[in-house]
Amino acid sequence: MTKLLDARGLNKSFGGVWALKDLNVDQTPGETLGMIGPNGSGKTTFINAVTGHLSLDSGEVSLGGNRITGRKPHAIAQAGLIRTYQAVRVYGQFPVIENLRVAGLPHFRRLGLSDPLDGADALLSKLKLKEKKETLAGALTLFEQRRLELAMRLISRPKLIMLDEPVGGLNPGEIREMIQLLKELRSECALFVIEHTMKVIMELADRVVVLVSGEMIANGAPAAILQDANVIRQYLGSIRVTSR
Amino acid sequence: MTLENILLNGMAVITTGLIVGAIFSLVAAGVTIMYGTIWFPNASNGQFFMLAALLMWSLVVNWGLSPFLGAVVVIVGSIPFSLVLEKFLVRPFYNVPNRNIVYFIMTLGLAQIFAGAFTGTYGRWSDQFSLPAAWPGAILLGPFPFPRTRLLVLVIALTLLAGLFVFLRLHRVGRALRAVFQNREAAILRGVDVRRIYRFSFVLAMLVITMGGVLFAMAYGFDLTMAWTMAIIGFAIMIVGGPGSVLGSVVIGMIFGFTQAVVSLFASPTLAAFSYLVVMLIILLVKPSGLFAR
Amino acid sequence: MIFRRAAVVGLVLLALLLPFLLSANRFYAFILGVTYLYVLWSSGMNLLSGFTGLMPLMYAGLAGIGAYTSVNLVMKFGVSFWLAMPAGALAAAVVGVVLGLPSLRLRGFYFTLSGLVIQTALTMLFVYIPQFTGGDTGISQIPPPMISLPGDKSFALTGVWLEEALAVAALLTVYVVHRVTRSTWGKYLVAIREDDLLTEALGIGVTRYRVLAFFISSLFAGVGGAFYAHYMGFVSPRSFDVLTSMNIWLIVGFGGQGTILGPIVGTIILAPIPYIMQELYLYKDIVYGSLIVFTTIFLPRGVYGSVLFHRRNRALSRSSAQGKTEAARL
Repeated sequence: MTKLLDARGLNKSFGGVWALKDLNVDQTPGETLGMIGPNGSGKTTFINAVTGHLSLDSGEVSLGGNRITGRKPHAIAQAGLIRTYQAVRVYGQFPVIENLRVAGLPHFRRLGLSDPLDGADALLSKLKLKEKKETLAGALTLFEQRRLELAMRLISRPKLIMLDEPVGGLNPGEIREMIQLLKELRSECALFVIEHTMKVIMELADRVVVLVSGEMIANGAPAAILQDANVIRQYLGSIRVTSR
Repeated sequence: MTLENILLNGMAVITTGLIVGAIFSLVAAGVTIMYGTIWFPNASNGQFFMLAALLMWSLVVNWGLSPFLGAVVVIVGSIPFSLVLEKFLVRPFYNVPNRNIVYFIMTLGLAQIFAGAFTGTYGRWSDQFSLPAAWPGAILLGPFPFPRTRLLVLVIALTLLAGLFVFLRLHRVGRALRAVFQNREAAILRGVDVRRIYRFSFVLAMLVITMGGVLFAMAYGFDLTMAWTMAIIGFAIMIVGGPGSVLGSVVIGMIFGFTQAVVSLFASPTLAAFSYLVVMLIILLVKPSGLFAR
Repeated sequence: MIFRRAAVVGLVLLALLLPFLLSANRFYAFILGVTYLYVLWSSGMNLLSGFTGLMPLMYAGLAGIGAYTSVNLVMKFGVSFWLAMPAGALAAAVVGVVLGLPSLRLRGFYFTLSGLVIQTALTMLFVYIPQFTGGDTGISQIPPPMISLPGDKSFALTGVWLEEALAVAALLTVYVVHRVTRSTWGKYLVAIREDDLLTEALGIGVTRYRVLAFFISSLFAGVGGAFYAHYMGFVSPRSFDVLTSMNIWLIVGFGGQGTILGPIVGTIILAPIPYIMQELYLYKDIVYGSLIVFTTIFLPRGVYGSVLFHRRNRALSRSSAQGKTEAARL
């Protein structure tokens, strides 16, 4: 079966320090993949490299069987692989609906739609942003901005969204809601989730990859990963699992 | 070309190269300290350089002061001037994220103000400005005469550069300056008062540029086009040497100085300036962190 | 809405009529002509600086290329101005993209610095290739644009007719910039200015749109340059040096970057200054320089931009009290 995302032999160093070391990560269609690891282990570097924001020293990446190594970020987004940022990024000076319009403009023709905002209303409803349609994105709460981020990705009907710490900065109630939202979105497009909050990973991911110092040290179902002695020693020992 | 001619030209090139190079290095060191520490790219560095030189001219030619006294007045006078500039133009932006662009545009405006002011004043008094020799006569190095003033200027310039170097490496404040340049957050954690360091760097950098201008006026004649030329050269050296690297400024400064001397022998000095522009552009596009990047 | 439409039509008509109204007084007519020229130039630069947030310091150099190309074609080869001017504009656009493209990936200050470098190099070039530029002494007695009439006759556009032509050119430029900002491409440019990383990640090729902005902006620089040469009758490298770039930028920055009216407001306020202060012409640099410093410190959004910003802010605070916000206008 063709892998949805296939990254092989990724190597990236910054002036002698290896951020990614001979890394192989793949994701099969229909599965939600999680990535965890200590700060500085290379998780964001991985997303940057796969989505074309960073050049690799060596390695190959393909999306649904098509090679995307070395392509520009906008081309990769057009190919169906799109990402979010650790620190939320929206166009603060535009209203929500304009944010969506900008996000939809590069894709609607390719998707055979008649309007960049095709499906925008349904999207806003699903993400509970309908009333905030005309509000400036900068005036939204952090949770609302995170949801807007998702809407801006979903409007391009991507094959895979790579989420970099989607619940960063949210309170426990919001985290619960976000997990629920992401669960519902799984049916629309595949998700790749980087997170520190283990609850998110436990509930969303079918499989988890553990990254330490640019190398994968474990790969398996969430429950198994939690028991893995290696993982506990190198990563879990230093973080807290949020209580239910 | 007789052997003597070649040797004479060679000596001229070497001596000019050394002096001009040292002065270039001083100016570039000032520019790079300002940019590296405060993130203040100073597009009017050439105007300040020329201001120092013009003030020297006024004091020595119009007021009859001795060049040494004039130098002291100008150099010491630069300190309150810098402090005022710092308070009103530099300090308000210390915490602005994109302040390097703001500073650059602002100093471009400042440069335009100075350019206009100079044209309206000094420009109407004279086309060329030169000072009488501070130390008349020449020393004979072997069979070659070397004007005493220029030799003095060279020695002073090199001493200042060495002093600057030592200060930055060894003195407590100098080390604090480099710490702030390298990593502002870490320096704050180590207890460095960043605002005072910013103020100090600005004044120090202006001091160094002023000294360059004073020394240049003592050694050579100049005209009003010098300001923009020097500004370009200052930035070129900073970019090629690596922003924030005083060592880079000195090395590249000397290289540019020699280039200037050699090119002036065969062609117009503008060609040299053109070559600096080309080199600067290449480095900007290929390796913006410069050759001596940390 | 209708009020707005009417106001725009009114202003366009006024712009077209003014040359005739002022034609008796050559002094005011000249200031009017210069104003139209600078509206053209600043609107063109606005495309780059206002919508991509960059300060293109080589703009005047590109205008010079447009000017010298047109002048040489007309005076040496007898080409009609109406062919020479577009040729000059194209030359400026090509040079602009070739020289500007590599520096587009530089951030902030470095981009500005590279613009300064290129501008300085261009000025040096203008001085040192007198075969094309007349060197420092410049080229004088540049003929005005000619319109060929049936029957082998031609009509020289001078005086009020040339000012009229300038008015039309300026209006066309503003119209083009207006259409661009309303287009998809215009929305992309604003998005790029706001957050270029996000824009790229969303699937918009940032570099290619910046190049396009560069191309069109440089085109206008060249058009303005050609008109300048044939209007003034005289050009020299000094006409197209870094100070000129800075002055045009000041007009855009002072008026309000990223808005359509901003450059127009800025031009009307600033362009006539050197001519009105005739005796104090020498102090033009001091005035402009001070304005640049002033604008940087106190008026970063420009005069018109600040008005828009405060209007939006009042709307924001008013509506958060009501729980609903008025949509911001781009």
